[in-house]
Order: sequence, then structure tokens, then C-alpha cells
Amino acid sequence: MSSFIIRKTTQLVFAFLVLVGISALPGLIVQMRPDFPCYFKMVQQQLGLLTTSAPLTYYNVTASEKRPLMPDLQPFIQETLIIFTSALICSSVVALLYAFLFYRTGSKTRSILTQSARLLEMIPDLFWIIVSQSIIVFLFKTTGFNQIEIAGGFADSIRFLPILTLSLTTVFFFIKWLTGRIQEEQYASYLELARAKGMHSTQLFWQHLMPNLFYRFYLFFRTNTITILSSLVVIEYAFNVQGLFRFILINQDFSVLLVLLLLIYVPFFILDTVAELCIPRSWKGEIS
Amino acid sequence: MRRVLLRDPVFWVCLLFFGTLLILSFANSVFRDGQVDQIQNLYSKDGTFIATSPLEPSAERWLGTDRSGNDLFQVMIEGAKWTIGICVSIAFARIALALLIGIPLAFRKKQLYTVLRLLLDGFLILPILLIALFILLPAFQFFDPAEIPSTFSRVFLEISVLALLGLPALVLYFIGETRQLLAQEFMLVARTLGGRPGYQFRTHIWPHLLPTLTIVFMQQFVQTLMVLIHLSLFGLFFGGTLVLFEGNAAPTIFEWASQFGYYFFQFTAVSWINHLFLVPAIALALLVFFANLLTSRLERAYRLRRQQMIPSVPLAAADAEAAAARLSDPFDPVDISIKS
Repeated sequence: MSSFIIRKTTQLVFAFLVLVGISALPGLIVQMRPDFPCYFKMVQQQLGLLTTSAPLTYYNVTASEKRPLMPDLQPFIQETLIIFTSALICSSVVALLYAFLFYRTGSKTRSILTQSARLLEMIPDLFWIIVSQSIIVFLFKTTGFNQIEIAGGFADSIRFLPILTLSLTTVFFFIKWLTGRIQEEQYASYLELARAKGMHSTQLFWQHLMPNLFYRFYLFFRTNTITILSSLVVIEYAFNVQGLFRFILINQDFSVLLVLLLLIYVPFFILDTVAELCIPRSWKGEIS
Repeated sequence: MRRVLLRDPVFWVCLLFFGTLLILSFANSVFRDGQVDQIQNLYSKDGTFIATSPLEPSAERWLGTDRSGNDLFQVMIEGAKWTIGICVSIAFARIALALLIGIPLAFRKKQLYTVLRLLLDGFLILPILLIALFILLPAFQFFDPAEIPSTFSRVFLEISVLALLGLPALVLYFIGETRQLLAQEFMLVARTLGGRPGYQFRTHIWPHLLPTLTIVFMQQFVQTLMVLIHLSLFGLFFGGTLVLFEGNAAPTIFEWASQFGYYFFQFTAVSWINHLFLVPAIALALLVFFANLLTSRLERAYRLRRQQMIPSVPLAAADAEAAAARLSDPFDPVDISIKS
């Protein structure tokens, strides 16, 4: 346990240093040339921000003044968190149900499902944004239905379309991975044994196949977070969501960038630690 | 894998798409000096004014013109080599650098990999788009057309930044892939026989890594294209943004992603769906679609090759062998002919 704590603490310290280095990167290029003294000055400044006890401030472009970061940032964090987690839950549930359907169907239906999922997966996120907005506008023009917002405002929060588009972007990722792993695992000896014992396919799927895929699915999600977050940046911009990424796009400040990087990294670090501690070793493919 | 691809019509359609675009684009540069026709106002034969730009698509101008009067078909043709070229260069640079760094590290002890993973962990979940935007935006915004640096320096710097930002994830991926190959039995034999790391890589690792590299290359191509599109949405066009009056901005190169961002700004000011916005949007959607299609065909070919590589005894021969080896009646005549 002590080695685990040491390892995790070292990882966190290293990650903080790397994040400070990344957050100072905008200072590296000055007038189209790399400027290393300026970069190191920025690193020092960012390290100072981390070590200081004074509250962090940023330059608010709209108000044209320096303001404390923390109370200002809170509603933006909340908005991003709501959209990100809702989209993640929606896409995970849909992908799981799809995977179950895929597992139960015959080879002909499987082929159709695979082809259609592959086709939809090739569509870029921006296309979903434009299509969803166009559909809502078309719906309004033809039926007068105006209950769905196509863009948010400072006081109006927009949730439905951002969650829908982010879910659409991620669900095909998940589906591709899950169906691929199901095809790999379906003739594994532990499933053959369970099948020979007369276990029903529904039970096989939820009790044996899914627990074995759970940890690998988490690792896959972790690797693809970068793509999901990139989509979220564009979604927040296109729908005018009052979220964290939109906040940083408006107030392009070094302190805001550092805080954003930490806000993205730390929850994943905690999630990694919890996953490492809580997921049974047998689920990770190790001998229990 | 090559044999499977040569017989795949979809693969050839994808290659034809990319090949046609590149040939047309380079032909425009060679034969027309990269010129794009400009039509500000349209007049009839008797000199009567008909319309002003942006002109709608017609038989004379297939994709219409933009507000500046640029023929959109010619803009797209001229820009194709830039868009494809940039994505190819960045994907190639990333893979080449990742191989140069990753392969020697893969031959070192596992602890080094663990330390490297620890160091680069922070890099793996941050959106490249956001970091690229913060690094490039201050340097690539120009307020005076006379002060724009040379095209080469702008393109080189932007390609370098985008290539380096995607490098950490790729280095870790190649180290992981190579280490997995090094753990295989045939590599153990190669090491036992005294093969040096360089020899092991050339003879054993490289042939196994090559199919994966082609797939990774296409994945990087699409990823780069998406980053370019997203950056252009935020007003950072490839090769720099020329800031005009009243917050307007224009690209300096006829590159597709930049054109998309440029027309996206204009399209928000006019009616919803118009040809100005649709032309680059459809062109980019097609490019992403064909690049993804090519990737999926490469993956399919790779999968089929792996299936072929797994040695399998034909069922009929296995049956005959089992019958020949049965012990109940060893002197009974058995049919050992292999069924077709």
C-alpha cells in the first residue's frame, strides 16, 4: 500500500510539473520564433501561481478588469460538467444496449449493424452540430415548435443539443470498441464453459462478458478522453454554451489555462486511483 | 495485406479520390500558376448589370463565387494540395519522430517506459486543439498584409507545433507496440541467437509494425484534419489569419479547413444554408469520409492478414489424422484421403 501511495504521489507531482510546462507553452513562440527565455519566465510565473496563497485572478475581457477566478469560474465548470457527464452516461447506456443487441443477433444482422455503425462513425462531430441545428430550425419553420434552443446566451443555458451531439460523437466510439471486443471474446473458454453449463445468453453477457470488459473499457475511455474533450470544446463554441472551454476561449489568460488543465487532469487522476483500488483484480485480467 | 488491398475496389475508389484531387490541384499550380478567377460583378452581353458576388452555382461557375468574387470550384481545387499536403506532412512527421524516439526506448528496461508514462501522463488527456490555439493564435494573427512573414516560415512553424503536440501519445503507443512484439516467442529466439537491437528491428519488428503504421498514419491524417477545422472555427486559419476591419478575418492560403472557418463566419451573418458555407463543408466532409473509409479498409486488410497468418489445419485433414490415430481398433483400415 505504501508503494502505491508513493507511486501515486510521484505521479501527481510529475503531472503538476508537466501541466505547468504545458500551460506556459503559449509563451514559447514570440513573433514567429521560439523564445526559450520567455518560456522559462512563463514557467516561473505559473509555478508562482501554484505556490502562492493569494486567490487567483484573471483579466476579464468583458468587464475589462482583473477579477478573482474562483467564484467566476464555478457556474462555467458546473455547465461543462453537466453536459460532459450527461453525454457520457447517455452514450454508455446506448452503447451497452447496442452491444447487447449485437451479442444476441445472428451473423446477418450483425453484419448490417457493423456496416451502419462504421458508416455513422466516419461522420465528423461538426456535421452533427450543423445537422442538429438545421433540423431544429426546419422543425420550427414547418411546425412552429420552438421548445429546443439552438444556441445559448449569457443568461440562457442550452443543454439538450450539446448533450445530444456529444453523445452522438462518443457513442460510435464506444460501439466500435465494444462490438470489436465482443467478437474477440465470444468464443473464449470461460464463456464456452458457462454456455455448456446451460447459462442463458442474457446472463452470459451481463454476468461474465461485461465484467471482463469493464476495466478495458475504462482504459479505452481514458485514452479517448482527448477526442471527447476536443469535441466538447467545439460544441461549447458552436452552441454558445456558457461552459469552461468557452470561458477560456473568451478570457485567454495564462492563469485560466493552468486552472483548466488542472481541472481536467485531477478528476481523471482521482478516477484512475479509484479504478486501480476498487476494480477487482480478476476484472483486470489478473489472477485473483 | 498488400494482396488483399489490391483486390479491394473500395480501396481503389479512395485512392482515386485523393489522386484526382492532388493531380487537379498540382495541375492548377503548374499550368495556371495557382490562379483563381475573380468575378466581382456579372454583366449580360449588352452590358446590363445582372448580379454581384457572391454568385450562385451555375453552368459557368459550378460552385458559384464567394463575396470577394473567387470562383469556389477553383478555390477548392487550388486548396486541395494544401489540405492534403499539410495533413500528410504532420502525420508523417509525427510517425517518423515517434519511431525515432520510441523504438530505441522500447529496447530499454521496463522502468524507463514506466517513468516516461508517468511524465507524459498529463499530456494524454489534454485537448491538442486548445493548446495549439493558445500557442499559435498570438503568433499567427496579422494586422498588416505587408508584414506577413514568408509562406515557408509560417507553414513550417505551424506544422512543427502541430506535429510536436501530437507526439507524446504516439511515442508511448509505439513503445507499447514494440514492447509487445519484443515479448513474442520469435523475438526471444532472435535475442537468444544474438541479434543486435538494430538487426532485430530491421528483420523482425519492422515487417510487423509496417501494417500498423499505415493505419496509424491514416488516423493521424484524420485527427490533424479535424484539428485544422476546429482551429479555423476559432479564427485561426492555417498559415495565419489576416485581421480585417470590424473584427473580420481572412485566411492567407486557399486551404479547405481555413475556407470553412472563413465562410462559417460569413454564413452566420447571412441566411442559414448557402453555397458559400456548403461547398467547403461538403468538401471537408467528403475528405474526412474517404480518409476514414481508407482507414477502415486498411484495418480490414490487416485483420484478414492476421487471420491468414494463424496456422490452421483443415478440418477434413484433422479428422483423417484423428481417425488414423484412434486406438480402439488400430488395425481397421482408415480413410486418410483429404476431403475437398
